[in-house]
Amino acid sequence: MPYPVVDAHRLVGPVPFDDLPEDPRPDMRRLGIDRAYVTHSPSLYSDARAGNEALFRLDDPRLVPVPVLLPDPFEPAPHWDVPMVRLCPARHRFELTGPTTLRWLAELGVTVAVDFDETSPGQLLALARELPGQRILLLNPGYRRLRAIGELMAAIPNLWVEIGTVNTQRGVEWLAGHFGAGRLVFGTGAPVMDDCGPRFLLDHLDLPEADIALIASGGGLL
Amino acid sequence: MILDAHGHLGPWPDFLIPDQSADGMVALMDRLGIDAIGISHLLAVGPCAEEGNRLALAAAERHPGRFGVWQVYNPHQRNRLVTDGVWGVKIHPDVHQCALDDRRYDPVWELGLPVLAHGQTDSPWSDPGRFVTVARRHPGVPLLLGHAGLWPYGFARAAELVGEHPNVFLEICGSKMTGRWIARLAGLVGADRVVYGSDACFLDLRVGFGRVALAPLGDADRALIQGGNLARILHDPLHTGGGIPGGPVP
Repeated sequence: MPYPVVDAHRLVGPVPFDDLPEDPRPDMRRLGIDRAYVTHSPSLYSDARAGNEALFRLDDPRLVPVPVLLPDPFEPAPHWDVPMVRLCPARHRFELTGPTTLRWLAELGVTVAVDFDETSPGQLLALARELPGQRILLLNPGYRRLRAIGELMAAIPNLWVEIGTVNTQRGVEWLAGHFGAGRLVFGTGAPVMDDCGPRFLLDHLDLPEADIALIASGGGLL
Repeated sequence: MILDAHGHLGPWPDFLIPDQSADGMVALMDRLGIDAIGISHLLAVGPCAEEGNRLALAAAERHPGRFGVWQVYNPHQRNRLVTDGVWGVKIHPDVHQCALDDRRYDPVWELGLPVLAHGQTDSPWSDPGRFVTVARRHPGVPLLLGHAGLWPYGFARAAELVGEHPNVFLEICGSKMTGRWIARLAGLVGADRVVYGSDACFLDLRVGFGRVALAPLGDADRALIQGGNLARILHDPLHTGGGIPGGPVP
């Protein structure tokens, strides 16, 4: 394999609605994915704190912890030595640009990942205005909102996009042509979302080899 | 032989498709080793079946052997159907707001050709249960249940419903499908009842093909799904897509 592959968006643990592999490592090996940024599923579907504690216990260099940040106005920001945190403002019912979220993000100073379905273009623009240095990874952008994503990428220089669901003909090349491969990040959302198709697409992008390698390793973000 | 059962050309109104072209599709097919793809033009799925079908047939003529044509039937427009030079008929009950088992589709079943239909769990128009109704009425018509139910919560149910109807096949394209689910469907209903489709250019051909190419399947099952089953359904898939009934299109 000519380049290391890093999946920026993966889950470990059970989900309530399907019987899916709880350990991502066998599928990662099978698909040639060297490392994955992972969130523990109970952090999404049960208790964020307990899920994060289980995540930190994994202790495997192939699995980079992405804990879920659940802002609490009566608590200080957590002291986590992680490269990225995930926010679920819709699922956990708080404001992406609420005062506690902004304060905690400012204190943490790490990349924040958020699912497009958990927020809105207006909220993302507001976040970028409030914290201009904040690096944002947009998860699950989908393929039906490329125009909106393009506008966001143009307006927010610190916004990166996960390509796993950019799934219309040559959609990834369209984004790379406008914004450069360095703004695109390989990710899958597996096992809830598919990892086979996006992994195959990565190897067959109509882009220079160096650009594919850049996307595979996390764009200019990871 | 690698055959893609579910493809399109042209634009769709609610999102940007960067490459909608026949030439772009063939370039990707060449790169991946896909022999042929069955297409309907998205104009035909949308507002104008007759003109969209003409565009699909013209594309097939420009690329002999590479495109099979699913001629769209719109039950409101009652457009003409042909029996030669096409793979079969495509119907989209959800877009046309006409339930799959509505009698207005009778001209489609009476044609006797294979039919590819959008199949969406819990849709009032195309829930897999309606495929069972049609399969009972027309057991001799090969029927591809497009998207295999579409939503992950419906995949297993679609397999269960069509299991006893050997003329119904699960076609697996869709943005919610996974390689894991393809393998599960093959286990539930048999690999000989699962048919690869990509939904390109609506979706990216490489994602749809790669989902099967990298799915946790054995080689024999993968070969059936990637083309063996569709070749059996169509009999002569590489020689039925290029002709234009009634002569050339200007």
